[in-house]
Amino acid sequence: MRLKKANSLLVTLILCVGAVVSFFPIYMAVINSFKTQGEMFASFTALPTKLHFENYSQAFHQTHLLNSALNSTIISFIGIGGIVICSALAGYKLSRTRGKMSSAIFFLFVASMLVPFHSIMIPLTRMAKDLSVQGSTYGLALIYIGLGVNMAIFLYHGFVKSIPRELEESAQMDGCNEFQTFFRIIFPLLLPITVTIAILDFLWIWNDFLLPLLMLTDVNHYTLILSTNMLFGEYNKEWSLILAALVLTSIPVILIYSFFQKFIMEGIAEGAIKG
Amino acid sequence: MPFKIYKKYVMLLAFTAPALIFYAIFLLIPTISGMYYSFTDWNGLNPNYSFIGLGNFVEALKEDPDFLNSLWFTLKYVLVMIVLQNVLALVLAVLIESRTRTKGFFRTIFFMPNMISTIISAFMWTFVFSSVLPQIAEKTAIAFLGQSWLGDPKVSFFSIIIVSLWNGVGYMMIIYLAALQGVPQSLKEAAIIDGANAFQTLRSVTLPMITHAITICFFLTLNGAFKVYEVVYGLTGGGPGRSTQVITMNIYEEAFSNNFRYGYASAKSLILFAIVLIFTLIQLRVMKKREVEA
Repeated sequence: MRLKKANSLLVTLILCVGAVVSFFPIYMAVINSFKTQGEMFASFTALPTKLHFENYSQAFHQTHLLNSALNSTIISFIGIGGIVICSALAGYKLSRTRGKMSSAIFFLFVASMLVPFHSIMIPLTRMAKDLSVQGSTYGLALIYIGLGVNMAIFLYHGFVKSIPRELEESAQMDGCNEFQTFFRIIFPLLLPITVTIAILDFLWIWNDFLLPLLMLTDVNHYTLILSTNMLFGEYNKEWSLILAALVLTSIPVILIYSFFQKFIMEGIAEGAIKG
Repeated sequence: MPFKIYKKYVMLLAFTAPALIFYAIFLLIPTISGMYYSFTDWNGLNPNYSFIGLGNFVEALKEDPDFLNSLWFTLKYVLVMIVLQNVLALVLAVLIESRTRTKGFFRTIFFMPNMISTIISAFMWTFVFSSVLPQIAEKTAIAFLGQSWLGDPKVSFFSIIIVSLWNGVGYMMIIYLAALQGVPQSLKEAAIIDGANAFQTLRSVTLPMITHAITICFFLTLNGAFKVYEVVYGLTGGGPGRSTQVITMNIYEEAFSNNFRYGYASAKSLILFAIVLIFTLIQLRVMKKREVEA
């Protein structure tokens, strides 16, 4: 009994140390973002004596925060919407249709999940230039649809198997055509996996760095991550400003995380099991 | 009857067309044209270029020490990440799972870094490594903390690992936690009644029951680690010199910042693709075998 208590204490201790390490950089970034440069060099670990919001207002303007956050939102929204609609349609039909053509198309999608982004980034940039979608927020969103459908189709394909066929048969008896059946009956039933896909794709698109870096040229079209990166390059050692920008950039995801925590964790677990 | 078959294909195409169009334009055609470019000496601009066969591949693997170094560095990184990320995630998951009351709290804390974008994480840690830790070292006389975290190639490898783990462990932990919750309590209890201690139960009951999750997490880590870019870009920028350059960085540099050798860079990315593919297939093969045994 005593051994058990010691064990349990040890577990708590390990977890607490882990938690401190896990939280340390975020804590450091937050407290130092309220200090002046001088105050920081006196001590990074001390709490700020007075809250300096100037860093935040400067970072807010320098990153064109509202504009970049809006860009990120537009890209995520269109990207996720496109991925969900295209993939639900395809995943459903591919799962319900037997035959060589169906298997071949499905294989094509699934096999491409192994292609690393870096293997196609060069021709992709080329393609974007040729189609003149390079430099545009909407163009970037379309690229995310192209890169994201394969995994989403895979997840939908698996999920559809759990939906009884009788439902769509009876809908068709009642006179629905195939598309009506899909949008009225099937799509609502796919909601759990749709939430999973939306979350995984949101984390990917919102936090992505390299693709926006390659595609966007005009500062006005920058995503939040890209604006922060630019700021880091320009004001390299002005930590008070940079840290404020880092904290500002992270606030949206932390907020979303706290609201949707349960769904996010379920989504990741679900995605992994189905994947 | 033929009409019905015909209708089946039309419907299949109608449902898959939207996805196929985006997929073809932004993934399939780039993949294929990238393969084509890799056999040419194209610079991305000049309309005149020639087909040079395997020349790019030979050059990359034989005469390009920077590429080989970045490949070697990436392989080391992948190996260390596969081991550390999974061990750490599994240990955390097991420890968290064992405490019913604090489960939610610790899960939240350990997963939070994963929400922050990788590049932002790297910038935050750059601050910690370059400013906070040296100052703490100075004040407390713990010399260890004052080392050159980002300037010395040997140390910066570990700095890169630390940040990658910080950012990525939470994700794997969630998958392991979900798998652990699927292990029937009765099996564990039976093992304990039979006299097994906590460690034995873990090894003989729990681990075999979650092999599926281990396979997935290895796969995800393997695939993610080969593509590492942001962490290194944010922390060291590949330096000092090119000592911490990863393969993706080398490809990027070749195509976009230094030489504009599109064809050559495409060949390098095809080599990356081949390596990832081979490693993944081997991994899945080995692990699937184990799954059957368990």
